[in-house]
Amino acid sequence: MHETFAFVTLALVKAAPLVFAALAGVACERAGVLNIALEGGLTVSAFAAVAASYATGNPLLGLAAAVAAGALLGGVLGVAATRFGVDQIVAGTGLNLLAAGAGAYGLVVLFGAPGASPEVRALGPRGEAALVVAAFALALGMHAFFAYAPWGLRWRACGENPAALRAAGVDPARLRVAATLAGGAIAGLGGAFLSLGELDLYSDGMTAGRGFIALAAVIFGRWTPLGATAAAVAFGAASALQFVLQRSGVPSDLMAALPYLAALAALTGIAGRARPPQADGVPLQPETAP
Amino acid sequence: MALAGANPLDGFAALLSGALGGPRQLAETLVQTTALLFPALAVAFAFRAGLFNIGAEGQLVVGGLCAGLAGASLVAPGYVAIPLVLAAGAAGGACWGAIAGFLRARFGASEVIATLMLNVVALLLANYLVSGPLRAPGAQGPETALLPAAAWLPVVARGTRLTLAFPLALLLAGLLRFVFARTVFGYELRAAGEAPEAAARAGVALRRVAFTAIALSGAIAGLGGATIVAGTLHRFNVSLSPGYGFVAIAVALVGGLDPLRIVLAAFAFGILQSGSLTMQALAHVPKDVVSIVEGLAILALAARRVVAPRIATA
Repeated sequence: MHETFAFVTLALVKAAPLVFAALAGVACERAGVLNIALEGGLTVSAFAAVAASYATGNPLLGLAAAVAAGALLGGVLGVAATRFGVDQIVAGTGLNLLAAGAGAYGLVVLFGAPGASPEVRALGPRGEAALVVAAFALALGMHAFFAYAPWGLRWRACGENPAALRAAGVDPARLRVAATLAGGAIAGLGGAFLSLGELDLYSDGMTAGRGFIALAAVIFGRWTPLGATAAAVAFGAASALQFVLQRSGVPSDLMAALPYLAALAALTGIAGRARPPQADGVPLQPETAP
Repeated sequence: MALAGANPLDGFAALLSGALGGPRQLAETLVQTTALLFPALAVAFAFRAGLFNIGAEGQLVVGGLCAGLAGASLVAPGYVAIPLVLAAGAAGGACWGAIAGFLRARFGASEVIATLMLNVVALLLANYLVSGPLRAPGAQGPETALLPAAAWLPVVARGTRLTLAFPLALLLAGLLRFVFARTVFGYELRAAGEAPEAAARAGVALRRVAFTAIALSGAIAGLGGATIVAGTLHRFNVSLSPGYGFVAIAVALVGGLDPLRIVLAAFAFGILQSGSLTMQALAHVPKDVVSIVEGLAILALAARRVVAPRIATA
């Protein structure tokens, strides 16, 4: 009984940052922005959280800084893609490089040592639990938003048929920027969870590909908030299982590859058609009429 | 740089002197240029067909792994061993690319997502193989056995690490330019990238072109991995690439997807890569600033006109 409880706890802790990142991915992709910079978003926000907590001694300000940093990186993607005609994939790749460099560079500038930051004041067990609850609450809220709210409908229309949205009097470019800001902020919560929830420091490479696992979860969850959350929880449980199975000799690298293989399988449509939003990743056409 | 409390001019001077300050520095810069040139040509090759190969990193790793395994198990004179090792690398990269190509051509799956996922799978697979079943006996880290000296790429500048890989990469750039400009296949590739609907009506089999383009793109990246294994490391190590496959995207874009301009772009980024360590040591500017510069360069240079419209296979 006790062991089951310990496993469920570990699975939830492993799943929470994936849920945040996956919801961030859903928020962006349903508006038509394929955000492959989720990994970069987790990196900069994990670093910002530690830096702010270090500077102020207040982990809640760290959380706020993480949300701001995530939103900033997301916003850069949104603005670059909609206003400057930069391809989303190219911009996302650039932002991932930039974020990895910024984290490593920031460590040297702020703490004078490469590799890892010193320990800072973290959110503690209660804060960690609150964030786990927040992740699932956010999933439900996003589901309700997409299903019932007028702006949720417009949001989805932006990802399916932005021209129709424009005809209805909503500027899809602004909505896409809003989506990347919101998605970035959500990814920021995930980054803060990694550095101030699960741990109390930032180290290079600590995000360990979670932004890409989240993209896999989005596909596996068919671009819906609840589906992506379920997939993220499954991937989180799989990574918790790694710790349990390590002793029994199952290679952890192969276990770690499971989410990616699952996503590749989902792409083949063996379990029903996995169809992205129609205008996912498609740049907006220039306006032809006023 | 100024943020780190160093004089930006000092940092820049250190970067340049570290990259170009003498024959040995120049040779090291050319080693980095070569390592970037292969995956950059790979990325450009797929781009020309309207496909995003974000997976050059994974293809490079798999190519390097295959080259390392083939090389370590070969007992043959150099003129047999070297071509075989390079071919093994190209074949490995091609296979890895072909998976994404197959998913794209058969199921219409996004090659962006597929290559992104395959990158991570490649690293995990390589890590598993060389830290477990294929680890060299007595090796210090996760790596394969040392290649026999016959399989090493010959050094072209005495006393440096610059090998035959560099002229090979230049040759490949020239070959690709020829393919794009003068062959039917190159024409179909560009047509599929620039005007897929028109190309389809003119009888270009878009799915076949998509599959071939990603597979060949993977072969080029895999060949690059093989030259790192046979040229500089002389064994496969999981950390053989500090993200060459990602920086390569910037290189390809800066080079405007034109093979010969990509050579110049690779040289410019090679300067950044090889000069950054000197800059860190002499001017106390963290080397990671280079990643930031590279990321910004991608954002700044990726104007829409560079990137061909996506293929519509449907």
